[in-house]
Amino acid sequence: MDTIISPIALYLICVLGAVGIGAALPRRNKASEIVGGLLIAASVGFGTLVLALRASEIEGGLPNFFFYPFAILALGASARMITHPRPVYSALYFILTIIASCGMYLLLSAEFMAFALVIIYAGAILITYLFVIMLATQAPSSASEEFIDETDAVSREPILAAGIGFVLLAILTTAMFRGIGDLPAPPDETLAQESVLVNLPRKVERLLEREGLITNTERLVRNEDGTAAIDVVNRTITLENTDLGTTRTLEADQWPETLTAGNLDRLGYNLMHDHPMTIEIAGIILLMAMLGATVLARKHIELEDDLKAAQARKLGESMNPEMKSVPETGNA
Amino acid sequence: MDMTHSVQLAQLAFPDAVPSITMAHYLFVSAAMFVMGLIGFMTRKNMIIMFLCTELMFQAAGLALIAFGRHHLGADGQTFVIFVLCVAAAEAAMALALVVLLFRYRETLSSQAWKELNG
Repeated sequence: MDTIISPIALYLICVLGAVGIGAALPRRNKASEIVGGLLIAASVGFGTLVLALRASEIEGGLPNFFFYPFAILALGASARMITHPRPVYSALYFILTIIASCGMYLLLSAEFMAFALVIIYAGAILITYLFVIMLATQAPSSASEEFIDETDAVSREPILAAGIGFVLLAILTTAMFRGIGDLPAPPDETLAQESVLVNLPRKVERLLEREGLITNTERLVRNEDGTAAIDVVNRTITLENTDLGTTRTLEADQWPETLTAGNLDRLGYNLMHDHPMTIEIAGIILLMAMLGATVLARKHIELEDDLKAAQARKLGESMNPEMKSVPETGNA
Repeated sequence: MDMTHSVQLAQLAFPDAVPSITMAHYLFVSAAMFVMGLIGFMTRKNMIIMFLCTELMFQAAGLALIAFGRHHLGADGQTFVIFVLCVAAAEAAMALALVVLLFRYRETLSSQAWKELNG
């Protein structure tokens, strides 16, 4: 099996990315951020170019064109998210990452998940994060608006972490690009999509009724296992008349245009038929998380004495702005 | 008819093997996003950003799941993304409650303030 990307190009991309991220992580020296950003951009651009060139060699190998802008946006936004010193901007860049990956979900024809992700992730979870960031951030004590807290302005071991991370990326991608060639080919799309119709006889009946193709006394023939007698390959549907006991077959030319199994049909059927127990487990996890969060947030905190004093000083300071400010001591 | 039908469905489930480069694109983006979340979790000191980075790793896993689901044309990948979303929501609720609690103890979001917790 020939490799999808040459190892030299792959490791070059990883080294470029590692140096870029290592340089761009927040630190006192602002100049290295620009160099880091350029290196990350070079790494992402080079990776995109190599993959696109390799894909264009294969008949029908190129992904949808919109994949490239979405991928670059997702990777760039996630790089900026981990390197931006201000937490609020980090959260906003993460929303951008989510929206870009929703674009990729759409390209992968997972429409329901794409919109659910925008609503749940970007709309609910990230807004909760933003709310907590606003709630749990000290008011800037310095007059300058450019002031960034020491916690956010300096990162811990950036070079080491970037090195370790990109060694992991190199190993992951090497394993993937050697092994991915053995993946089975995608099956025929329309057949795989419509094969779920066999399991949804009531939906098909309702749709045929709306199209005026069956009368009130007719229904789909069910097999012994409860599936409908629909041949999705030859596109024929077997119907029986419940009054007369006769059967007839709707031929392929009568197959209505609207009779397709969409993303939501397949997802819902899969969720309810193949994974019913996991829904229960997810419900229990969410209930426990809700209880846990409530118990944690209710807890009454006794501040330590020096912190109490610092709070009192801060309050006094805000009440009398002319009063000479007392330098705050570190808490660590 | 039933016989041929089930044979054809079986063929849908086990088609011939050919290389797929489009999958590689999505998996590369997913791996890179995961690694960036990992690096962010290791380097940043702000606890909220550390938890945001775990969300980024969830997101990367979700992209890989959707890509594999698309490759096999089944809905399993999307179903599991729903559960990943569920776990992410539970994690966000717990983590944020914990962060608010820790912030009220030490008046700082820095994880360095809790460095005496080294098992």
